[in-house]
Amino acid sequence: MTLSKRGMAIIAPVVSIAIFILLWGLVSLNVSADFLPSPLAVLKEGIRLFHAKISGTSLIGHIGWSLSRVLIAFGLAIVLGLPIGLYMGWSRVFEKIVSPIFEVLRPIPPIAWIPIAILWLGVAEGSKIFICFVGAFVIMILNAYTGMRYVDPLLIDAAKSFGATRTQQFINVAIPACMPSIFAGVQNALSMSWMCVLAAEMVGARQGVGFIIIQGMDLNKPSMILVGMVIIGIVGSLLAAALRWIERLLCPWRRELV
Amino acid sequence: MQEVSDRNKNVPSQALNLEIEKANYFVSAARENWISVVSFIMFILAWELICRFEIIGPYQLVPPSQVVSLFIDKFSNPNPDGALLYQHAIASLSLALVGFVVAVIIGVPLGLFMGWYPGVNMAVRPLFDAIRPIPPIAWIPIAILWLGIGTTAKAFIIFLAAFVPCVINAYTGIRLTNPVLIRVAKIYGASNWETFLKIGIPSAIPMIFTGMKLSLNAAWTTLVAAELLAASMGLGYMIQLGRRLARPDIIIVGMLTIGFLGALMSWILTKIEARFASSRRLT
Repeated sequence: MTLSKRGMAIIAPVVSIAIFILLWGLVSLNVSADFLPSPLAVLKEGIRLFHAKISGTSLIGHIGWSLSRVLIAFGLAIVLGLPIGLYMGWSRVFEKIVSPIFEVLRPIPPIAWIPIAILWLGVAEGSKIFICFVGAFVIMILNAYTGMRYVDPLLIDAAKSFGATRTQQFINVAIPACMPSIFAGVQNALSMSWMCVLAAEMVGARQGVGFIIIQGMDLNKPSMILVGMVIIGIVGSLLAAALRWIERLLCPWRRELV
Repeated sequence: MQEVSDRNKNVPSQALNLEIEKANYFVSAARENWISVVSFIMFILAWELICRFEIIGPYQLVPPSQVVSLFIDKFSNPNPDGALLYQHAIASLSLALVGFVVAVIIGVPLGLFMGWYPGVNMAVRPLFDAIRPIPPIAWIPIAILWLGIGTTAKAFIIFLAAFVPCVINAYTGIRLTNPVLIRVAKIYGASNWETFLKIGIPSAIPMIFTGMKLSLNAAWTTLVAAELLAASMGLGYMIQLGRRLARPDIIIVGMLTIGFLGALMSWILTKIEARFASSRRLT
């Protein structure tokens, strides 16, 4: 019984994906290739794009452009957002100073910053990195802040009664205690900046994966768009997987949870 | 007087201490609220002065006073973006809500069935997992190619964005149903379907609401992206036009309206959740 169940668990996904591709193929036979290309045509287009150059950059090059924008913005968001969020959770005075401004800006989706970012920083790299930064920054602050607010007061009290100074309580007790919340934030922030880079590249860029799918739309080539979408999905999942791996290295005590 | 002190004696001291602590926290929090007020005023003042002394040029940033006057003006003056502020807002809101409602109607039951019936899960899960890592924004070009630049394409993209969190949270919610409750229902002779309706769904409701909040957020973000790329109406269109005309005041009014409406919608959903959850709590 259990064996056949396990067998089903392996076979079912394969069957369901196969049926999906089969259906897709059947539908694509009956509509024009400008509307929905067949799965085979998408595969061929993918192979072609790996060798050809799209407006002067190879496919790998485009992925590299998008990734570098995301990673710069993401790094900046961690370096700036983490201390602000942690300190907001720690000091009530600092929280009171920052929160009114933060609360006004927080509900604005990062994508709504695109027009003003272009006015401020031009259509070059600056505005794209800025948008990814905004997306990741808000999430980092929120998670660091909530993590800090929910630190078990017992831990702080214990440190206090062992004579730890205020700084020691903050660095040695409070920060390690909110690591899980910080890592949840880091995960969300990375996938948010991956989404933001697409939006920024779609609005105006000459390189990047967002540019590829918009170029596919302008050239009326759905196969190119679909290749781009698949690549976006794969890179996004790889980024998330890499982050989970790093988390396991940095927080080994959470191994059983991951 | 005697009565009061007697009553206090009966109160368990721990609960009393907690009450006092809570009261102290709120009193001192209220006492510190002036810091927030001062900080906000300083922020606005700094912004106004930066613009007044033209440290940042008028094509990049305008003072808050000008933002406020444009905001008032936009209620009666359709220029230069061709519509009044509330018309843009209604266009955006109706589109986002249509996509959101359809996503909830399809996504929540799908997630519930996936969580309750392993067969449905096995059939749907692989497809869902394959499509999920693609951000909804990446669907915009193909949606435009398939459905044109009209309302349908935008509604489709918003639907996709709102759909995923609905499914995931409904699924997780029903999977976390307390197995003891399910066994009790079985012992009392409930059929699988009855158990699903009366035990599974009610206990999934808090997670369903979490999912709805996430998907409302996603719908609103994606709407802005779709309107930036292809629209002739709506708040996203308004801020995009503000960029083309180099009018930061239009952009800032649009951004603040987007933020305010997004916050308002999640606030309303939280209120609905509070009412719903208090009437039928099941743990």
